[in-house]
Amino acid sequence: MKRVLSILATAAVCLTMLSGCSRKVSPGDIEGYDEGEQYISLWVHIIEETPEGQAYLKSVNSFNEHYNGKYFADVEFIPRNGSGGGYSDKVNASVLSGNLPDVLTVDGPNVAAYAANGIIQPLAELSDEEKSIYLDSIIEQGTFNDKLYALGAMESSVGLYYNKAILREAGIDVPEAGNPWTFSEFLDILEQLKPIMKEKNGYALDMTFPVGEATIYYYAPFIWANGGSLVSEDGLTTDGYFNSDKNVETMKYFRGLVDNGYMSSVPIQNLFESGRAAFKFDGAWEVNTIYTSYPGIELGVAPYIVGDDWDGGRYTPTGSWAYAVSSGAKDVEGATELVKWMSGVESGLELYNQTKSMPSTYAAYEQISAFTDDENYKALYEQLRDYGHPRPKTPAYPQLSSSFQQSLENIAISGMDATQQLNKSQERIRAKLERYTRK
Amino acid sequence: MTKKNKRNSIMGMAFFGPALVLLTLFLFIPMILTLIYRFTDYFALSPNTTHFVGFENFAKIFGDDLFVQSFLNTVKFVLIIVPVQCFGALGLALLINKITACKKYFKVAFFIPVVMSLAVVSTLWMQIYSPEGILNTILTNLGFDAQPFIHSADQALPSIAFMSAWQGMGYQMIIFLGGLQAINPALYEAAEMDHASAWKKFKDITLPELKPLCVFVFITVTIGAFRMIVQPMVMTGGGPSNSTYTIVYDIYETGTVNWEIGLSSAMAVVFVIFVIVLTMIQNVLTKDKEGKNENKK
Repeated sequence: MKRVLSILATAAVCLTMLSGCSRKVSPGDIEGYDEGEQYISLWVHIIEETPEGQAYLKSVNSFNEHYNGKYFADVEFIPRNGSGGGYSDKVNASVLSGNLPDVLTVDGPNVAAYAANGIIQPLAELSDEEKSIYLDSIIEQGTFNDKLYALGAMESSVGLYYNKAILREAGIDVPEAGNPWTFSEFLDILEQLKPIMKEKNGYALDMTFPVGEATIYYYAPFIWANGGSLVSEDGLTTDGYFNSDKNVETMKYFRGLVDNGYMSSVPIQNLFESGRAAFKFDGAWEVNTIYTSYPGIELGVAPYIVGDDWDGGRYTPTGSWAYAVSSGAKDVEGATELVKWMSGVESGLELYNQTKSMPSTYAAYEQISAFTDDENYKALYEQLRDYGHPRPKTPAYPQLSSSFQQSLENIAISGMDATQQLNKSQERIRAKLERYTRK
Repeated sequence: MTKKNKRNSIMGMAFFGPALVLLTLFLFIPMILTLIYRFTDYFALSPNTTHFVGFENFAKIFGDDLFVQSFLNTVKFVLIIVPVQCFGALGLALLINKITACKKYFKVAFFIPVVMSLAVVSTLWMQIYSPEGILNTILTNLGFDAQPFIHSADQALPSIAFMSAWQGMGYQMIIFLGGLQAINPALYEAAEMDHASAWKKFKDITLPELKPLCVFVFITVTIGAFRMIVQPMVMTGGGPSNSTYTIVYDIYETGTVNWEIGLSSAMAVVFVIFVIVLTMIQNVLTKDKEGKNENKK
């Protein structure tokens, strides 16, 4: 009996050490949280000791100062690993235990899944004026089933970068933003560049289709700019969308880039940065990389290419982390105030200062000289502002993202049949959507 | 119970308790939960809508091309790595056992990769295997064509298997080395008196003496190889064209990326049953042989 007791006692001690996560906070428990204030808990997906974490902390502190006596926001920093685990695991576990915070950060493409599963709830009504401060892509990203669920902390963009010296050598002029190269025109240019780049032991295009989020983020715009889509408007149907004839055509276009030797079928490091590629698709961070680490490269940003029958619609890459109100939040008004504050102009500026990430509001861009004076940053901003298109909004987004990458890799690099691959992938996504269509 | 015994018992519990709690929390409870979840459609984002679905998950798994492919990839990986790693380790152990100069240096040098984290080793080999990396530079300088290695659907899995064998064989080498040093030198002396060749000595003395260790190494390397996930996760993300996507990787992605805990639990159960059955077969086969050997003696 005593032995059993000692086992239990030891277990109890250890469990006490391991627990201590859930707590009830009362006024006075935390510095700054006073009697009469509404307590709002907030989770962010990053550790405190990073520039990004510091920017969030600063914004939370300024919120508490501004709303002193009314609201008190308490931020918790939750680290996430490279593939996004850690933070999302904690969110998932809290869905089960009912310990979700009032406000949490959500990656843009996951808004639909979180909304469809009732993890987040629509924000309190925002006036048109309040909405108008945000880029259209931010409102679009946060909207699911006609309701606004999330507001972006920041935005992002991908550029079609070019090496000015190489294009000059080839006598190629770059078009204006509203008049991008079409698929056919771009092929002609790549053909023209091929011998020049061969001499430089390189390729016309520095392009890869890596596993992970980058592939859909960079290359789904080819689908949209060619009149296709990946999923229906309500996010629940992929048959006839993901595997449409238009998409088969786009996938074959990618294969042409590999087959004609315009790009390498295996990734070669720093091809563009070492002056051995004329073009490269990459995130906005590439501008800073070139400026600081490869000053010898004359960098330009060309408009993202479009299908031959492009109708002028939105198509370029966007999306990043956003704030949303959890379904557990009782005071939606207060939580929405925090979301608005954290995604507002001042917070965007702070985040830009700390991390150089692109803001989510028009006013922030106007106050950052890089976006008004530097032609490359300006081009990226204008592309985002005028042509930004969010990634597909579907509750089965993770499957859609990986299926898109696998299809593209199989078709373009491994030379598999485009129709067959898209059909197969479509079937996989459809299977994941079944739980939503069954309802 | 005497006072001393009582004290010992409490002390024992104090040492054993923390391990018991941690094992219960992170091993026993998850194992039991996995056994329950495999029959449900538990979805991480919507745990309150979980239903009992019977064997539906198992039907889904076996009808899923990707699961079948990941299963075949894993088997292929095991078939490559087990002989390479086992024979490689034995070869290294024999070499080190023979040499007299710098013995310690070589022992440490071959063991160092085992100590390094798999993620670090994988990152290092990504550079070695890269299109313009050291391996391709050597190949092209020797007049061979550059190889895509981890960037080709045909070569990726063997490339990863080779790297994994290189990383892991130091551990088995130490086990074999211990075995070699425990062999009675009198056996070799007797063989020498009979003018036995080196090959004969190896075949008739070394190998039979090492047999129990060989069985142990064979089984542990096989089970370890079935669990492979880190290398493709770091180096290829399961590609190109899913050629390095393994069962454990599929279980992980299904559960954490696609949130389908029920389905991934069923996958885990299938995987565990497969490994248990395989280990039992290995055990029976190797035991039989041992029995036969003993009969011969």
